[in-house]
Amino acid sequence: MHPILAVSGLSKRFPGVQALSGVRLEIQAGSCHALMGENGAGKSTLGKILAGIYQPDEGNIQFEGHAVQFHGPQDAVSAGISMVHQELLFAENLTVAENLCLGDLPRKGMWLDRKEMVRRAEGWLSSIGSSIDPTQTLGELPISKQQLVQIAGGIGRGAKVLIFDEPTSSLSQAEAQKLLELIRELKAKGVTCIYVSHRLEEIFAICDRVTVLRDGQVVDTVDTNGLSRDSLVRMMIGRELAASMEAHEEIPVGEELLKVENLSSPGKFEPVSFSVHAGEIVGLAGLVGAGRTEIVEALFGLDSHVSGKVTVKGKPVALRGPIQAMHEGFGLIPEDRKHHGLVLSMTAKENVSLPVLDLVSSLGVIEPGKERSLAQKFFDQMRVKAPSIDASSAGLSGGNQQKLVLAKWLAADTDILLVDEPTRGVDVGAKAEIHGLIRDLAAQGKAVLLVSSDLPELLSLATRLIVMREGHLVGELPANPGEESVMRLMAGVK
Amino acid sequence: MLGKVKSLFSVQQLGLVVIILLLGVVMTIFAGSHVDRLSGHTVNNFLNPTTLIQIATDTSFFAIMAVGMTMVIISAGIDLSVGSIYAMSAVLMSLVLQKFTHAPPFEQVMLGVILSCGIGVVAGFLNGIMVCRLGVHPFIITLGTMWVYRGIAFVTTKAMSILVPDSLTHVAKANLGLRRDLFPVPMLVMLTVTVVGALFLQKTTWGRRIFAVGGNIEAAKYSGLPINRILTSVYVIAGLCAGISAFVGTSFYGSSSSGDASGYELYVIASAVVGGASLNGGKGSAVGAMLGALLIVMIRQAIRTLNLDQNYEWIIIGVAIVVSVVLDRWSTVQAQRHLMRARQ
Repeated sequence: MHPILAVSGLSKRFPGVQALSGVRLEIQAGSCHALMGENGAGKSTLGKILAGIYQPDEGNIQFEGHAVQFHGPQDAVSAGISMVHQELLFAENLTVAENLCLGDLPRKGMWLDRKEMVRRAEGWLSSIGSSIDPTQTLGELPISKQQLVQIAGGIGRGAKVLIFDEPTSSLSQAEAQKLLELIRELKAKGVTCIYVSHRLEEIFAICDRVTVLRDGQVVDTVDTNGLSRDSLVRMMIGRELAASMEAHEEIPVGEELLKVENLSSPGKFEPVSFSVHAGEIVGLAGLVGAGRTEIVEALFGLDSHVSGKVTVKGKPVALRGPIQAMHEGFGLIPEDRKHHGLVLSMTAKENVSLPVLDLVSSLGVIEPGKERSLAQKFFDQMRVKAPSIDASSAGLSGGNQQKLVLAKWLAADTDILLVDEPTRGVDVGAKAEIHGLIRDLAAQGKAVLLVSSDLPELLSLATRLIVMREGHLVGELPANPGEESVMRLMAGVK
Repeated sequence: MLGKVKSLFSVQQLGLVVIILLLGVVMTIFAGSHVDRLSGHTVNNFLNPTTLIQIATDTSFFAIMAVGMTMVIISAGIDLSVGSIYAMSAVLMSLVLQKFTHAPPFEQVMLGVILSCGIGVVAGFLNGIMVCRLGVHPFIITLGTMWVYRGIAFVTTKAMSILVPDSLTHVAKANLGLRRDLFPVPMLVMLTVTVVGALFLQKTTWGRRIFAVGGNIEAAKYSGLPINRILTSVYVIAGLCAGISAFVGTSFYGSSSSGDASGYELYVIASAVVGGASLNGGKGSAVGAMLGALLIVMIRQAIRTLNLDQNYEWIIIGVAIVVSVVLDRWSTVQAQRHLMRARQ
């Protein structure tokens, strides 16, 4: 084996931060190599430099034994390095075939050669074993299929190295499994894969070697074989992790705060009934599309077609909208922090105080001192890493943005917290802190309804589990039922 | 001292102030001078009280509306109908006041204010309700009402010019102790509207909520904000500002017609945008909007004062608007790029 890609002395500085310094890395041909690290460790920057998206300030890149310099992603693609992006960069209004051929549209004279385009796209898609119809509009495909189109594009252009940047962050468990399977197949065909991810399970499942980055420097490169999870985590965060996966004190269960009877929404979920008590963390398990997010959104009044009976503290309530839901004591920490959680054009402080402006104002005039101290309190409690509460929320990392969303709902101090995917795209350190906080909230006597696609997270946090499948409630399980039994219920396997 | 200035104006507004002052200096230097009829002194053609207050007066009619417009733009909307609301408020007020020619002056003025502002509020409310309830882009809604409101003004006046009672003109042209050819009232109204607008946007919960809705309407909804009421309110405010402007303008000139303020909506939008409002929403300021209006009027004035060919006025203003906005965007993109990179 020889290195297909070798990097030495690679440094990259962005204004105000040294993203990478003196990075040395060798990637063996035909291997699957993981780049790991907390948010801000520099793994994405490294991936983007290898894909020609960023240019390094210093350092050499050797590809197949030759020194290369990429001035843009096109250079990297023609050399044989393609990237599968975290956020998909596609024209959603065009067809699959048009997207695949966008850089090099086939022509017949001066006209677009549609037949050739479709033929080429079909070939590329079938080379990765996918049967997506190339004439379909891309935006109509689910994210997982759009990702396959991106991979097909890379392979079709003759990529020898594929860089995956957090590829499973928006996939369901089943879809993620399929993707990992595909990566294994690509590897078998001799394609070198570079895999940037937070998810330890995936790294252990498919990667041969892993390079851990911390604060822009390489901590170490090790074989995954014989590596323990704990030592990998320790390398990433440089300290012992507060044991998030271990046993915890029992939280006493209090009165019933939320009771849901025959709640249903046509086309989204069939009648479900459950209850959540103070001090409980009830996990909603299920695959993507099982109706979990839809249930929490309906409880928060965001679904106008919902029917059924919802009782809060023994009092029946109507689900008219978020304003009324908040009034009844609901808080929703939404799945998509950028679209639903934060107003990115506002500062951290302004985001935290947004749902509770009335508490920090008199006669409609904001009292700056009160607002600051309220924001600062929850900012500190969440340990948001930012220069100050006046920092722009757009400039924070994913983990810190998520903490900000949590801070916002801590400030709102609602009794029933609907928490949807609280740690998606969040690094290990922040994840443990968020887990700790959710437990604290339950210990304070709040009722928590938790949706998560991260099964280990759900199992470690939930004091009780409700399992959904395709809009139906298929079972209720006690704490720690074991991963397998939950999976079976979720997937409908006997 | 510098700290105080900084807290008053943002960096961008400071830039506008600097450009306006520079333009003033250039005009003072190149304007030449004339002998003043009243005092007999030799005065600069630009730097004299009459011209300066004249510029402020010209600015005020745009600027008052620009303060309202900037709130609409912050909410990620647009209001093309403000010029038409101005005309409708002006002519309806004038028509009603014609029935009260013998009423006491104070009552005439009060009735004028109430009518003009009230009609503006109602027109803005209709805009707001339609934007919220019909789910059509505000550009289309207000494009429609722009013609409807203008048409109402046209039909009710039969395209005639309507005089307003002298009492209104006495108020709008009051000297307030200044020389008898100086009329500071429109300027003072503009400053008041700007200060009230700025305080409203920066200091009140409602102002904050407008920024939130414009920055990310989904997140605002998920935070339990009353989206429809907030959105409706900005169109009401824009209508109110058009009504105030209509009262001041009509009183100042002594008459109104259905053609008043036609095309003003574009000047007003330009003022807000030059003043830093982003059409993507979530960004803008009342002080900036006023400064933007002032800059546009100053450029127009410069063409006259410096004896440039007036035929080029539109070209110069058009270029100036695009350049100032491009410069502003360029600087924010740079800042954002730094931020985004710093995150990686």
